[in-house]
Amino acid sequence: MALVSMRQVAVAFPRRRAGVLNGITLDIAPHERVLVIGGSGSGKSTLLQLVSGVIPHSVTAEVEGTVTVAGVDTGATSVVELSRIVAVLAQDPASGICLPTVEEEIALPMENRGVDPAVIPARIDAALEAAGVTRLRTRRTTQLSGGEGQRVALAAALAAEPALLLLDEPTSMLDSAGVSAVRDAIAASVARYSPAVILVEHRLDEFAGRAGLAALPERTIVLGADGTLAADGPTGEVLAEHARALTASGCWLPIGNELDAVFGGVGGLDSPVVRAGLLALGRPSPRGEPEGAPGPAGDSGPKEAPRPAWSPTLLAATHLAVSRTRPARRTRTPHTPVLSGVDLDLRAGQVVALLGANGSGKSTLLLTLAGLLPATAGTVVGKRPGMVFQNPEHQFVAHTVSGEVGYGLPPGSDALVARLLDDHGLAHLADQSPHRLSGGEKRRVSLAAMLAHGRGTLLADEPTFGLDRRATIGVIGALRGAAREGGAVMFSSHDLRTVATLADRAVVVAHGRVVADGPVFDVLRDESVLAKAHLALPPLIRWLLENVGSDAGVLRALLALDSEVAVPAAAS
Amino acid sequence: MTVADSPLARRNPTVKFGLLVVVSLALLFVFEPLTPAVLYVVALLAVAAGSGIRPRLLLLGHLPFVGVAVGLLLVNALSRPGIEIARLGLLRVTEEGVEVGAALGLRTLVIGVLALGFVASTDGVRLMTSLHQHARLGLRFTYAVLAGYRTLEELPREWQLIRHAHAVRARSGARGGPLGGVRAFARAGFALLVVSLRRGERLAMALESRGLGLAPRTIWRPVALSGTDAVFAAASLVVLAAVFALTLPR
Repeated sequence: MALVSMRQVAVAFPRRRAGVLNGITLDIAPHERVLVIGGSGSGKSTLLQLVSGVIPHSVTAEVEGTVTVAGVDTGATSVVELSRIVAVLAQDPASGICLPTVEEEIALPMENRGVDPAVIPARIDAALEAAGVTRLRTRRTTQLSGGEGQRVALAAALAAEPALLLLDEPTSMLDSAGVSAVRDAIAASVARYSPAVILVEHRLDEFAGRAGLAALPERTIVLGADGTLAADGPTGEVLAEHARALTASGCWLPIGNELDAVFGGVGGLDSPVVRAGLLALGRPSPRGEPEGAPGPAGDSGPKEAPRPAWSPTLLAATHLAVSRTRPARRTRTPHTPVLSGVDLDLRAGQVVALLGANGSGKSTLLLTLAGLLPATAGTVVGKRPGMVFQNPEHQFVAHTVSGEVGYGLPPGSDALVARLLDDHGLAHLADQSPHRLSGGEKRRVSLAAMLAHGRGTLLADEPTFGLDRRATIGVIGALRGAAREGGAVMFSSHDLRTVATLADRAVVVAHGRVVADGPVFDVLRDESVLAKAHLALPPLIRWLLENVGSDAGVLRALLALDSEVAVPAAAS
Repeated sequence: MTVADSPLARRNPTVKFGLLVVVSLALLFVFEPLTPAVLYVVALLAVAAGSGIRPRLLLLGHLPFVGVAVGLLLVNALSRPGIEIARLGLLRVTEEGVEVGAALGLRTLVIGVLALGFVASTDGVRLMTSLHQHARLGLRFTYAVLAGYRTLEELPREWQLIRHAHAVRARSGARGGPLGGVRAFARAGFALLVVSLRRGERLAMALESRGLGLAPRTIWRPVALSGTDAVFAAASLVVLAAVFALTLPR
């Protein structure tokens, strides 16, 4: 008998015209592992919430058809009762962990199911071991990093031995080290407990990692933009068949699948067809269509204009030392700064990427440059910069999108607000609450609201974090646009493909110092710098840097690949 | 001796909490200073010896209570009608006022020092588990408090983030820096409220998806309620009664 079964399921939310899911019929067997993909808003999360019972019990929606889990109708059974069968690992580790210490957190689901207290310690150990975090057992949960928190939440979900595990973009809020740790923990834990798994993920390139397709569940379900079942079958076949459409809808496919689809090859970077295609994309070509680039390869690549060799410095840091905490008044021992001896100049028209491992002081440096933290030593000279934060929700102050963009502007700025809403594809959302938007939309609101102030320098902390590929390209366009209009831009990022596509220059921090500062491709070619900062070059970028003759060619190829993604006209 | 394995830390949290409540209630009916003064000395000695709290922390912890106590003494001494014993300009100090004020101030100190000993010797999770086990506190309430406590621990960090995110968009002041003010503070407060509410919503969902509310349930590490706790409670009550009997005027 199927573990999960849906028959003609349709879901619609109040106050929205189109249904989110339409006519979904599927069965999932015990121990089966399924990947669910689709563009933003295609109903991936809704599908998971139907299975866990959150819809219709906690979130109001009109549901047609039937959903059963282990023979139980989810519409007639409470979320708590369903938790005997279903465990959930949510996107954000911070909101999935409830108790002050790790072992109590993992014991809780077992206590709730009435597991004999005598066997609980052994099961805590087993779950922690499978997730690779045995050493965290007695730690306080507030001290965990994102990747650690997510592995503890995974151990808590599986310790109670559920028949079904729901994974809702489990790695989208993590840095690259966190992604690989959590990916390995999921693989080992699923192998140990063998529950059925439904995985929702849009960052397949990172989630699959070097193992590629082998790291993904064997079956894939694709949801179409209209909420119907667009495909259902073996992962390899489905990805090959639907790669173009998935790329266009904003999924990050494993790089091999993305390239095969673009060039019609087999084997990704190993395929001669793909290699020839990439080289052709990199060659300068007559205006318009680069040879071999299929589809709507636009000529308006945002980074194509030749950059001025010299331009005025808008913000300069000299011998800067930064530290997270304010220097205490009465202690004699000085604070050890996270970074010191930083000399930086941010120039008009230039986009600078700030790279470094987690905890290397990137955010602290940005906050200090923005004047929000006092410098421990040294000076920052220049007009007051603007800054956007990793979580856009933290900066929202208004009840509507247009109020948000107009916040802090002098009276009579309506025309400016209207133009910004238009430029960033937000005009149709002007009256909505900023909190109700998708991740990509929230990010665009936060950028537009900061750009409204025309501060000259724009600092951005992980601006593409957790976004799907379409939203990422939108952000790339917005930051590039800010530089084109004469601004200086500095952004931190873990995503080296985005860095290579967007930045002119890269600054790398490691071990409390700036270890590299130069043209982005020179920095990315420097193996010793990458090793110092624990940066792993994605295979595509590595291949392009090694094989395409010129930096301009590498950039042309990356932009042409991005043009495969259908970006709403207004977004960039 | 550390805080974690001190004699008071080994006692049942519900029993300790109950005794704290009993002492507070008993002192409600005392308006002369001798009884709370003796109780304060006894409580101070017991907490210093039994809870393993560092003397410096015990002293610093007194500050807010001493502040309140002095306030109570002054207000009562200067405002209560009765026999005048001194005059400070327009203000008269009365005998009744000094007596009642001293009693109320010392009451604050007794409850304060006991609360310090309680907090120093009690783990939050053990307290909630024990209240659920021994005082029939509802399961949902118990875990809502525990999850809320975790959110509370992260509040300062969130607050700083929000203040930064707002400050960067504030209009520039005369010196080029951001303009602050009460309204900016209120807006940040509202943003913190929104962020916290959303987090609370997600925590509630997480607790449900972990099966909170299923029956029957077990408790992994139940909090012990032993004979020693009974002796401790009885001894404490005898001391309390003895102090009352010896010090209250007949």
